[in-house]
Amino acid sequence: MLKKATMYLLVISLLLGMSLGVFAQEINLTLWHIHTNVGAAQNTIQDAIRRFEADYPNVKIEEVQIINDEYKTKLMIAMGANDEPDIFMSWGGGPLETYINAGKVWDMTDALVKEGLYDNFLPVAMDLASVNGRVYGVPITNMVAALVFYRTDIFENLNLNIPTTYSELLEVMKVLNENNITPFALANANKWTGSMYFMYLVDRVGGPEAFYKAMMRTDGGSFASEAFVKAGEYLQELVRNNAFPRGFQSMDEDLAQSRNLLYTDRAAMYLMGSWAWGTIKAENEPLLEKLDFFVFPGIEGGLGDPSNLVGTPGDNYFSIAEKCEHKDYAVKFLGYLSDEKAADMLIANGHIPPFGENIDAKITDPMMKSLYQAVSGSDAVQLWYDQSLPPELAQVHLDTTQALFGLEMTPEEAAQTMEQAAKRYHGEN
Amino acid sequence: MKALDHLPWYRRPGVTIFLFLAPALFFFALYVLAPIPVSFFYSLFKWDGIGQRSFIGLENWKELIGDPVFWKALKNNVTLVVISLATQLPMGIALALLLTSRFRWTKLLKTVYVLPYMMSAVAIGMLWRYIYEPTFGLLNMFLEAIGRYDWILDWLGDPKVVLYSVINAVNWQFIPFYMLLFMAALVGIPLELYEAAKIDGASPWKAFWTITLPLLWPTVTNAAVLSLVGSLKYFDLIHVLSGGGPNHASELMATYMYKRSFHHLRMGYGSTIAVALFTIGFALSMVFVRVTSRKQYEGGDRR
Repeated sequence: MLKKATMYLLVISLLLGMSLGVFAQEINLTLWHIHTNVGAAQNTIQDAIRRFEADYPNVKIEEVQIINDEYKTKLMIAMGANDEPDIFMSWGGGPLETYINAGKVWDMTDALVKEGLYDNFLPVAMDLASVNGRVYGVPITNMVAALVFYRTDIFENLNLNIPTTYSELLEVMKVLNENNITPFALANANKWTGSMYFMYLVDRVGGPEAFYKAMMRTDGGSFASEAFVKAGEYLQELVRNNAFPRGFQSMDEDLAQSRNLLYTDRAAMYLMGSWAWGTIKAENEPLLEKLDFFVFPGIEGGLGDPSNLVGTPGDNYFSIAEKCEHKDYAVKFLGYLSDEKAADMLIANGHIPPFGENIDAKITDPMMKSLYQAVSGSDAVQLWYDQSLPPELAQVHLDTTQALFGLEMTPEEAAQTMEQAAKRYHGEN
Repeated sequence: MKALDHLPWYRRPGVTIFLFLAPALFFFALYVLAPIPVSFFYSLFKWDGIGQRSFIGLENWKELIGDPVFWKALKNNVTLVVISLATQLPMGIALALLLTSRFRWTKLLKTVYVLPYMMSAVAIGMLWRYIYEPTFGLLNMFLEAIGRYDWILDWLGDPKVVLYSVINAVNWQFIPFYMLLFMAALVGIPLELYEAAKIDGASPWKAFWTITLPLLWPTVTNAAVLSLVGSLKYFDLIHVLSGGGPNHASELMATYMYKRSFHHLRMGYGSTIAVALFTIGFALSMVFVRVTSRKQYEGGDRR
């Protein structure tokens, strides 16, 4: 019996091996990204693959979807093992630079110019994936800002107005809590979700310079400066005033545990990247009618302009690996990912593509128009800390912020920990 | 050996045995033995895993000794070891006794009880995540339904609770394994012993302490070593269920090593933790094996 089974196994594996041999004539390109949920980006990417494969029948694109937080680890391991995919997604900034410095990422500037793609992308969005004017990745999915989405029906029923200042926000939270509604739907196991609150508070207290100086280590900038400590204090005040749902520290954004509260009338507000509009559209379209957004409130006496945003002008960046054997085809594929058809699909699914012409005119949905205006009209867009900082410091920021949320560190301690890590990283000690 | 001297070298039994073992030994050396010194070597460097390594001597080790998170992780590991030993083995024995005694539902129960062990750790992690979900989770919904609002906890978010929530899920996963182990051992105990005890007027309780447990003891010590080593290097369920969080409240040495290596991109420091984890685990299990094997010997002496 066992012998027979072994025989079958042998035959099958032989056959498989042979069939692989037949297909080896084809060109294979591997593509890694994070869009495991059906939605704007996934649809667009898969449509681009279909169209590309139809035009180049000898090329096959092997698409691998990996869930967000696992993706970062998996890509890193693949890079370390010299086993990276031909085309991969990142968020630009610090982590991508780690790979660029290690010689892992292909400088695609000339190829983009040659293919006529270079001018297709928004210059400000290209910056995040460029080093010394050379382009290592192109922005594909979305122009994003973190905004406070809120349930208009709940606000109306309770006669609440949009809070424009921090003290108004505390008032709104008080009324909501009295009515057994959680003010903010937050799932903070992922840490970057809670980081959005902290980034806004730092900006509102100290303006965009506070972070910039601390990151660049110029003008006496420090992560232990007043802006960061104060932001921590405000953050903990929010926690103490029950801004967040029970168990938010263990809830997972990737499992929609935050949005579930919004969908079941248990939470009224949701601070999230504007991609949430597309996500909610895919998950629970009828709710969109009862949803609007406002920009995170300002702080009385703070230095930051209350119209400043935290976000990214490109969201997902697609890069080509240095060791990719068919870079010419890979670049051509990036063209399919960023052509007219892709832009239309992204817009139809609630995203604002950072490429293409007349995006402004193409957006017809009034809500998306105001999203677009908020993103493109802001004077200062602060890039996510965890993407602008080198990975080691980004993690310290995320860890200390989560500890602040858990009231397990004082704002002073968290700020000092971050500053110590920065000093160590830059060899200042 | 003399009788075999006329054989050519490649026909001698030692050589044959070695040749048969060689493929397994090769992979064992490649994936288990070699990484140990290599990890120690890496622990002397500052390295992001991709770019250039730079030698920093024992800096990583100095940092490790002063790293409160590492000590917290070690403490959590010890808690996991103690609770695992104290619950998994007795529960395993109890269930094994229940299922080897003949009553109506044993066949069905056997299958049901083994199910958790058959599931992958990731699936178990997701399952318990939904059970512990603070608002819509099975556990809190149930407590709400029976009106025990005071028992509702933030199972995975409260730093004081999370470790025990996670250990509970670990127990759920591994008790079936020990149950199977003990069931196999129980079957080997001759029934005549129990009959003789019955004739001598021993109560079932007495029979358990004087017959079952002593004859089960070698299996118990083996199971204890497995549990000890498994708990020290435990990783997968914690990684899926709580990720060691919030704020390292349920961190274990292995999850901490993973985080430092792959989230902070500090391969050197990650290797340092790995070597420390190996050393501690190896030392503890050596001590444990020594102590329990001596006990076994004494027990044999008395009989």
